[in-house]
Amino acid sequence: MFKFFSAFRKEWIVLVRDVPGIILLFLMPMVMLVILSLVQEFGWNAVAKEPKIHVLFVNEDTGNLPALIEKGLDDSRMFVVLKKLNADSLTRETAREKVRTGEYQIGVIIPKGASKKIERKVQMMITQIMSGIMMPVGNPFFGMENKDSVNIIIYFDPAIKGTFKAAFLSSMKEYSLKIESNMIFQTFNDELKKLFPQYLSSFKEFRETVYFTEEYPSGEKEPVIATSTQHNVPSWAIFAMFFIVIPLSSSMIKEREEGSVIRLYTLPVSYFTVFMSKVGVYLIVCFVQFIFMVLAGIYLLPLFSLPALSLSNHYFSLTIMALASSMAALGYGIMIGTLANTHQQASAFGSVSIVILAAIGGLWVPIYFFPHAMVKVAALSPLNWAHEGFLTIFLRDGEVADILPQVFKLLVFFIVTTTVAAIYRKTNPHIGS
Amino acid sequence: MPDRPIIEIRELTKRYKGADEPAINSISLDINKNEIFGLLGPNGAGKTTTISILCGLFPPTKGSVTINGLDIHADIRKIKQIIGVVPQDIALYPTLTARENLTFFGNMYGLRGKVLKNKIDDYLTEFGLERHAGKMVARFSGGMKRRVNLIAGLLHDPKVIFLDEPTVGIDVQSRLEILNYLKLINKKGTTIIYTSHYMEEAENLCSRVAIIDRGSIISLGNPKELVAEHPEFKNLENIFIHLTGKELRD
Repeated sequence: MFKFFSAFRKEWIVLVRDVPGIILLFLMPMVMLVILSLVQEFGWNAVAKEPKIHVLFVNEDTGNLPALIEKGLDDSRMFVVLKKLNADSLTRETAREKVRTGEYQIGVIIPKGASKKIERKVQMMITQIMSGIMMPVGNPFFGMENKDSVNIIIYFDPAIKGTFKAAFLSSMKEYSLKIESNMIFQTFNDELKKLFPQYLSSFKEFRETVYFTEEYPSGEKEPVIATSTQHNVPSWAIFAMFFIVIPLSSSMIKEREEGSVIRLYTLPVSYFTVFMSKVGVYLIVCFVQFIFMVLAGIYLLPLFSLPALSLSNHYFSLTIMALASSMAALGYGIMIGTLANTHQQASAFGSVSIVILAAIGGLWVPIYFFPHAMVKVAALSPLNWAHEGFLTIFLRDGEVADILPQVFKLLVFFIVTTTVAAIYRKTNPHIGS
Repeated sequence: MPDRPIIEIRELTKRYKGADEPAINSISLDINKNEIFGLLGPNGAGKTTTISILCGLFPPTKGSVTINGLDIHADIRKIKQIIGVVPQDIALYPTLTARENLTFFGNMYGLRGKVLKNKIDDYLTEFGLERHAGKMVARFSGGMKRRVNLIAGLLHDPKVIFLDEPTVGIDVQSRLEILNYLKLINKKGTTIIYTSHYMEEAENLCSRVAIIDRGSIISLGNPKELVAEHPEFKNLENIFIHLTGKELRD
């Protein structure tokens, strides 16, 4: 153990004196975390139903339809309805121009007479029904058709996502159907009153019978919301941990290039001791990186008006997951450090491969946006296994048992990569570590 | 009965993967206790390969080696404890100080505490580096690095020390200091195996030399006796050129 601790101390000193390397390891992922969280906040807010998207609302109608649609948009908490810009009432042209230039994302135009048209159509339908009851024979309304239709115009910024557009249109349809239904019931109620003066109605307004209650598979009443922070902290923590490949492989190649590895292998100390001291130091670095990223999520991101990271009290699961991810990253670094001949090879291949594995692993774009074939590819990335594990803890309230498949895969990855390195080293003894 | 040689090499062969010719070809050699033995040869002759096998860096393709009666295959851990190695490259960590480097290498030999500290202090003083103990090796001159490189191989008082071109690229003062110290420890009982391209240095320092070329020993003996046997060549360098030719080597 004495030799292990001495080798560990040496590795530690070498590492901490590499100031640019340390900055790269700790600062780069933190900067990326803040920037990407800020950038993605808009998209995540839309999902999390925060009132952030401004809708230019042009009302050319005098009836109650615009007010009801406006209320529907307000109640959804996804939108802020703007009827004026700089104290000026909005016009159809202004709204179209503002959306065209991308200043605003959505414009809604309620055309003149829209409410009247709906009322007329509803009235016609009710009258047809009532006359059918009152005059089964010789009904003058039989076969009549009201061809009125209301065309609400919506402008979308072309840059807006298709899914978001579909969600907005679906919401608008929902509000208009609700308004129409309410009118039908109200008109029907009024007609019955006219026909039967003794009719006492307790009807006030149409209310839906079918409600949707979101229940959480974890059983929690208030689960953690999938904010940009909840997604980005594990993503960038994993990215940072896997970026250890660069300094680790560099340190191995440096030892070879500087010749110190030659002396190392003439010393009465086992390769395993020297190897484990390196693994030990870099494992600590990976774990500290993870803690820093978590702390950044909790304390730093809120300083930028971003939601704070919620840990759900699963500290033990997080520790296991962080250690397993670190081991996988170290295994990959050791393999690259062994197989690469030069610094340039190691840093170029290491960084590019991490970026690719992160991209296909769903670290930057959630894999549910991936096409089916890419989802299968994503499942091959160790960064995806790590990410899935962290998301299981952060968002799905996962316990240790829930992350065991990911932990197992990551540890197998460590064993496979270090075995490849060991075999290569054994068959090419001149390459040293 | 004469002492058993401290190093016994029998039919040692090393063939690298994909190479047409073996790097060393069936070398047999005895090196006696307390010798300063020079392995001389042009580039690619097989000097570094021989030393690397003797140090346990990689196994031979064929043949056997014993050091102090220990077999290179079976007892490599024990052998590593009694040998010191000074590689051709500066095998130090540039971002560690001289003291940190020496402490680490001393620890790897099992040295620790005050014993190690005193040894490091003594060596640093001996080689004129005591004022630079706390400086990073990266800031040292070539000669200073060579001196620390040598100390790292001597800290544990090895019975046998292998030096692969220990004086290459350094100033005259550092070179003299290193050579004088090698003579001193040799007098105290350390066997030295040494490679060099400096024939004059080898002629003055070594009790015996082996001239290797293309993986085989082509001449072996006391340098002064070799010169005496070939009076027409006047010195070891001329003998070396005569034996290995003027052709440039890779």
